[in-house]
Amino acid sequence: MQGIKVKLWYGLLGLGILIGLLTVYKVFTVGFVLYAKTDILVWTLPIASYIFFSLTSTGLAFVSSIPVVFGIKRYQPIEKRTAMLEIAVMLAGLTCLLLHLGSPWNAIYFIFSPNLESPLWWLAMLYGLYLTVLLISFWRTHIGESSRTLGVFVFLIAIATATTLGWLFGLPDARPVFNAQFLTMYLPLTGFSSALAAVLLFNMAYHRFSGEPMSEGQVNLYNDLANLFGIVVGATFIFFIWRSIIGGISSSGLEFAGFRHAMGTGWYHLALWVGLVIPLVLLAVPSIRRTNWGKVSASALFLIGMLAGRLEFVLGGLVMPTGPKAEGQPPFVSYWPSIWEVFVVVFALSVLLLVYTYGERNFKLGKVSGP
Amino acid sequence: MPKYAMVIDLQRCVGCGACSIACRNENNVPDGIYWSSKITETSGTFPDVRFHYIPTLCNHCGNPPCVRGCPTKAMHKLENGITMHDPKKCIGCRYCMFNCPYEVIYFNWQQPHQFWRDSKPVIQGCTGSPSELLQKVNNNRGTPYHNPEREKTLPGNRPNGVVEKCTLCDHRIKEGELPYCVEACPADARIFGDLENPESKVRYLLGKFKPFRLKEGFGTEPNVYYIRSFNPANYESTKGGV
Repeated sequence: MQGIKVKLWYGLLGLGILIGLLTVYKVFTVGFVLYAKTDILVWTLPIASYIFFSLTSTGLAFVSSIPVVFGIKRYQPIEKRTAMLEIAVMLAGLTCLLLHLGSPWNAIYFIFSPNLESPLWWLAMLYGLYLTVLLISFWRTHIGESSRTLGVFVFLIAIATATTLGWLFGLPDARPVFNAQFLTMYLPLTGFSSALAAVLLFNMAYHRFSGEPMSEGQVNLYNDLANLFGIVVGATFIFFIWRSIIGGISSSGLEFAGFRHAMGTGWYHLALWVGLVIPLVLLAVPSIRRTNWGKVSASALFLIGMLAGRLEFVLGGLVMPTGPKAEGQPPFVSYWPSIWEVFVVVFALSVLLLVYTYGERNFKLGKVSGP
Repeated sequence: MPKYAMVIDLQRCVGCGACSIACRNENNVPDGIYWSSKITETSGTFPDVRFHYIPTLCNHCGNPPCVRGCPTKAMHKLENGITMHDPKKCIGCRYCMFNCPYEVIYFNWQQPHQFWRDSKPVIQGCTGSPSELLQKVNNNRGTPYHNPEREKTLPGNRPNGVVEKCTLCDHRIKEGELPYCVEACPADARIFGDLENPESKVRYLLGKFKPFRLKEGFGTEPNVYYIRSFNPANYESTKGGV
């Protein structure tokens, strides 16, 4: 029975990968016309998913650094699984990025023609470095030679990447809706909250599907994590509300009109109600928070809402056509992803789950690595 | 080194769009992409109606956010002030489109000039297909009206997956010719020249008339200036009332 389930799981992931490969083929032969993009909505679901995955990965670096960098040893049992997740989630992010770029093969010019003024160049370099150090650090942990120096390095690069993304959105003065100063705090915070959700979700899933019972220590650790998750979701909620008040309700600037419009869309409400309010209620009630289903529900809903929130965030700065591109357009353009854009997310999730499953089966992720 | 700029005289501009058509022909611009475009605005209630027509193109900013953001320097400045794009270095991230406050950069969402790849006859049993015509006219170079001169500094047709925008006809300037939109304007509403040259017409006009530039508040230092405005209407002298 167990063998059939495993085969079915790999079959599903294989199907996801096949759909992804078909998407790669179609996008790079037919063109990006397959996406629901226009000259106004130049960034859509693939880049929003990239932001979602990459920030979750850097957030996971913060979680895995708790025992390594801050020396809180009771978090050690989740360190290795979290590090594996960091890698898998980062690869999912890169998958989305690949399918966002029009000519990814020209990325060789990041090396031969670097522009040090560009936040995008720094972000690419930092993510390259992050993934390299992460892989080395994970391997060292796996062979029992865990390195605190490497752990600290991963933690620092994670901070740098998450905040550089704020710079990237802050560069366009014409789109103040992104509010860069705010983002340099908001993005790492939401990355951390997404990471806690992912850690809870994957650890619960591990116990559910492996059949391994939770020890008392593990139950206490997951309850600790759920408490921390509740606090961070609360902080995210406060940031989200203030962003809405400052950028959407109290502002009258023309440049914020796109965000005011985005606040009326389903993506915004999905992010607010499904992604923040319901998880917050679930986590606020101790008797729910301590249950496995409470943890799983809050984490899953938070992640769904966060993905919608990343999309709402990107679209908010783009939906209002301006200049010559506003000719013949409505005041705000609407967006619904095409099936090919949905396939990009399916592909990324399949990559994530396949890499993680491989790690879970081959690297003994529950093993405590440190002294 | 010259520093090129363009002055657009809104009193002379009749809004005929010849600049945009000339630009398409000169630069082999595909459907859906507009190196040369316009902003139009109609306001008021009949009969008190106002219509504004502002021709637009890349502003070749002195402080261009598209260049600052481009990670591979595909978008770059030439010494003569032109903001140029190298499709060979472009990764197609569209960050330049994101950064440009003027919305004058376009992305090739698919292979350019799709219409001319169609092998279906326009009228079944009567005419040939666009692709047949293309082959007979110019050996499959994208369009029957392909301008090979464009290939001097840029691929004649920019590929799928990269951005493109106005280059101020840098290939013509190299040959001592004016940008083609300037050449084609029947009303002489576009005046091109070197801001560094005190004898140039652009310097003369910018001294004589108070210019404005689009979205100057962003500090991008656009090099496309607008002067005067066209309004033939008159009204009776009045002090208004309480």
